[in-house]
Amino acid sequence: MARFDPLIHQPIRLRIMAALNALPEDAQLDFSALRNMLDVTDGNLATHLRKLEDAGYIAVEKTFVGRRPRTYIALTPQGRQAFAEHVQALREILGEGE
Amino acid sequence: MDRPSISPEEAREALDLIDRTTQHMRRSLAHGGAPYFLLIWGVVWMLGFGATHFLGPDSPTVGLIWMVLDTIGIIASFAVGWWISKQMRSPRYGATVGIYWLAWIVYGALIVYFAHPQSGNQLSMLVALLAMFGYVTTGILYRSRFLTGLGLVMTGLILAGYLLWPAYFNLWMAVLGGGSLIAAGVYILRFWR
Repeated sequence: MARFDPLIHQPIRLRIMAALNALPEDAQLDFSALRNMLDVTDGNLATHLRKLEDAGYIAVEKTFVGRRPRTYIALTPQGRQAFAEHVQALREILGEGE
Repeated sequence: MDRPSISPEEAREALDLIDRTTQHMRRSLAHGGAPYFLLIWGVVWMLGFGATHFLGPDSPTVGLIWMVLDTIGIIASFAVGWWISKQMRSPRYGATVGIYWLAWIVYGALIVYFAHPQSGNQLSMLVALLAMFGYVTTGILYRSRFLTGLGLVMTGLILAGYLLWPAYFNLWMAVLGGGSLIAAGVYILRFWR
């Protein structure tokens, strides 16, 4: 049975994981691009990202582009695996893919 | 792990949320700076073809105007591409997109060079069709019905103007060609954000 992950299941974190999972595997997404896509506040997004980062599901890289600070977020291999298992667990609840 | 205590309805809602978010992200990825590219090249077409119609295709000024407009269009497109690359960093994806458009430009230039267009209208039609070939193939590649549809509609407009109203082809391209690109760019900015 696939692993249902309560940490991922929270709606905003679920959307964060789904959005990052849709990117190419080597991709990093800018914080503001993710915030605009999810339509959440900076503080709200930062809180959820911290929880996902603590779990090892995402990697956060703070850098500078020119003089501007930028934060890039990427799914880790562990995060990609956990998300795939969570999706599978949801399908199993519906009786699909068991 | 034990079976989680969520209902099938909740599981269905979560899967729908995942699907919507995934589609939203893929659409953002596919369209990237599309509205800005459409606006840039819509304005270039409108001014370039408009100048060609009103000054005449044989006017030496027209060639200069096209050169300046194309240069501005290419520089602006590179600037938009650079800006997009700051939103999402992906060396493999960036290289793939860059190589695709480089191949398109090289093959387009070779086709135009060896096709020896017999008139200004024919040259304009060929270049415009090549541009739309780029839209259609990009749309197919990224499963974007909008880009594919826009390319096909524009192809129809280009061929209709070229075949049916050759005397007004440049005006046709300025108003309907350039206007459609601008309208498509405004539509994406207005409704897809």
